[in-house]
Amino acid sequence: MDDYGWGFLAGIAIGLIIVAIVKFRLRAKPMSVAEKADYLSGRRARMLPILAIIYITQQATYFTVPSGAAHRAVDDVKISAWLVFSIILLAALSTKGFWLERREVRSMIDDELSRANRQDAMQFGFVFAMLTCIVIYAVTMFEPVNGRDAVHVILSDGLGAALIRWGWLERVAHRDA
Amino acid sequence: MPERLLNRLKERRNDFGLTQAELAEKVGVTRKTVNTVENGVFTPSATLAIKLAQALNVPVEELFWIER
Repeated sequence: MDDYGWGFLAGIAIGLIIVAIVKFRLRAKPMSVAEKADYLSGRRARMLPILAIIYITQQATYFTVPSGAAHRAVDDVKISAWLVFSIILLAALSTKGFWLERREVRSMIDDELSRANRQDAMQFGFVFAMLTCIVIYAVTMFEPVNGRDAVHVILSDGLGAALIRWGWLERVAHRDA
Repeated sequence: MPERLLNRLKERRNDFGLTQAELAEKVGVTRKTVNTVENGVFTPSATLAIKLAQALNVPVEELFWIER
């Protein structure tokens, strides 16, 4: 298996470990559907800004590799893990999320306010990604930009912006007046 | 002056002796949704507004009105 393959596996393994820990912790708390939906929704609101920061700081992995530097397997692994993380975050943003929970819990978490917040966040992320495209296009007039670098920046900016926006909206929603 | 949807959800909910979580469970949403509707942060859909009114046993126009 090549280095990118190991990166994909590492990303998936970390994701599965996190899911297992979360499921194990929840087993000790007997809750109704509404309580569980509220608990998970609150936890998501707290986790989103942290996930966004982790995701955005991961960009350092990609951009700190000098263009002329010798090829290092570890960079391939990190980039592949970042790709897996991107796919998971995009899936969480564009679906109800909490894929391993019961259907009624998932439906309650994704109530109309959550859907509105998600749509707002996706719209924000899209606009941010388009603005990034415009900036990159302008930069290419003065300096060539590698296609892969451009895609990396657009994906990171769009997804990162959407996550921050979603986290902020969810936190506002949970705040009592 | 922009139109605003106002409500007396909190008042009616307190009359019924319900918590936000209890009312949320009755209408099938999370507590944060009831919280944001009460605070005027979120404008509910017609469906949710009707469900809230039914849960609190009041006509929907008594629970929500538009300030012009």
